Amino acid sequence: MKRKPGTVNEQRRQILQMLAEGKITTDEAERLLTAVEAEEPEAAVPARTKGRPKFLRLVVDANDEYSGETKVNIRVPLKLLRAGVKLAVFVPPQALERANQELHKQGVAIDLTEIKPNQLEDLVDALDELTLDVDQTDTKVRIFCE
Amino acid sequence: MIPQLVTARWRRKDGRYRRLFLPVVPIVLLLSPLLLLAVIGGIIACLMFDLPPFKTLAGVGRIFWALPGARFEIEQGRTAVLVSVR
Repeated sequence: MKRKPGTVNEQRRQILQMLAEGKITTDEAERLLTAVEAEEPEAAVPARTKGRPKFLRLVVDANDEYSGETKVNIRVPLKLLRAGVKLAVFVPPQALERANQELHKQGVAIDLTEIKPNQLEDLVDALDELTLDVDQTDTKVRIFCE
Repeated sequence: MIPQLVTARWRRKDGRYRRLFLPVVPIVLLLSPLLLLAVIGGIIACLMFDLPPFKTLAGVGRIFWALPGARFEIEQGRTAVLVSVR
């Protein structure tokens, strides 16, 4: 059921008015106010905005004894990722081969030539649902879409 | 929408922040002769590396168009840098 804005305040006002008129006792008024307040947080939560997220956010909050406090706050438009993926189609195969060789040297067994552009686009589309939380004693990392 | 304003902010050695606001459209207009040369250079580079020049330019343009909203903020120790595109 949808609640109209200001209904909780209206109910609270009515309870206080009934108390002032002597229609209810203080205990009854307290019970009623408690019941109204219990409903309030649910009503106060804004309806989640529908539609697709527009930004990928990376928030890092770390406190290292060597490098001190580190804060990173990056917001990347998802459109930018999609545009980058479309541009990645034009990377020449020989460049991908060289990138593969370098990745293999670093121990990363990924064949970039096998990754198709539509797969990358699907990956970017699937980022909408991504939420990654890493919470350690000194470090907090959050990756999410908004 | 093309980017309108790029804001760069960094912390100086004395701890005070320095801000730089770059209005993109006037700067692009001011540098348009150089940009034209850069585009011609880009087309030549595309032809050298067997890339479709106009599709590649369109891709670069798409990235430029997608920039508004991007924000990079890094703060570590005494270093603090912010780059924001609106």
